Amino acid sequence: MTQQTSLAVGAALPTVTKTITQEKINAYSLAGGDDNPLHTDSAFAAKTQFGGTIAHGMLVLAYVSEMLTAAFGKDWLASGRLKVRFRAPARPGDTLKSSGKVTSVDGGKTVCEVECRNESGEVLVSGEAEVSR
Amino acid sequence: MTTLAALGKGYEFPPAAFDLSEEWVDAYVASVEDEAMVALDGGFVPPMAIAALAIRALLEHSSLPPGTLHAGQELAFTAPVRRGETLTVAARIASRGERAGWVLMGVELRVARDGVSVMTGRATLSFPVAEGAAA
Repeated sequence: MTQQTSLAVGAALPTVTKTITQEKINAYSLAGGDDNPLHTDSAFAAKTQFGGTIAHGMLVLAYVSEMLTAAFGKDWLASGRLKVRFRAPARPGDTLKSSGKVTSVDGGKTVCEVECRNESGEVLVSGEAEVSR
Repeated sequence: MTTLAALGKGYEFPPAAFDLSEEWVDAYVASVEDEAMVALDGGFVPPMAIAALAIRALLEHSSLPPGTLHAGQELAFTAPVRRGETLTVAARIASRGERAGWVLMGVELRVARDGVSVMTGRATLSFPVAEGAAA
């Protein structure tokens, strides 16, 4: 994965693909300090609308952020803006693909549409990112 | 511990400080498998780690109702953060409403280093009305 130095309108961001497992969700729960049983307690989660555990939204967002770090390097850390909606849950066993495309470059500001889909093509996260360069 | 469901619009969370220790950052990066941050020199902390720690700091004062969903997130980063630094987080409930049996709560976050903002954000959380006590 290499940092791109110049991205024009229409350019695709480097995709990031990850497979979600319950072990990864548990590890994130420990690191993130979020012990919501919806993520880690299969008995609790089975009784919810989801029928089973789901990944933290911030875990999925970390994958989107990895893509933006790969694309923009330190500029993402220093000037990044992100606005997303969580549209559907990521579940253990899902393979997630984060992708994005540059929609405008203006005055040193690069705007991208970003999303994360599962292996069925369902959009789990979508939104917009902006980086000043 | 107070549940988030009992808090109303305008509530300000007690300010909290957190340390970005090497050990914690390593655990975070491993949990999210962030190869891009590993490849980026400089000892920087993944921006989402800052957001995660800020939210974690809030949860030390108020618990999430079981089954709380993360409906949306806005974040703005204004300076890179390095391992070993100490940050402070301030947060308030900026909005609270109900729709179709669910509470929608907007929580604004501001993370600072030595009083200078490094990240601002807004998390939109949702949980069943039955979990909420405050109007």
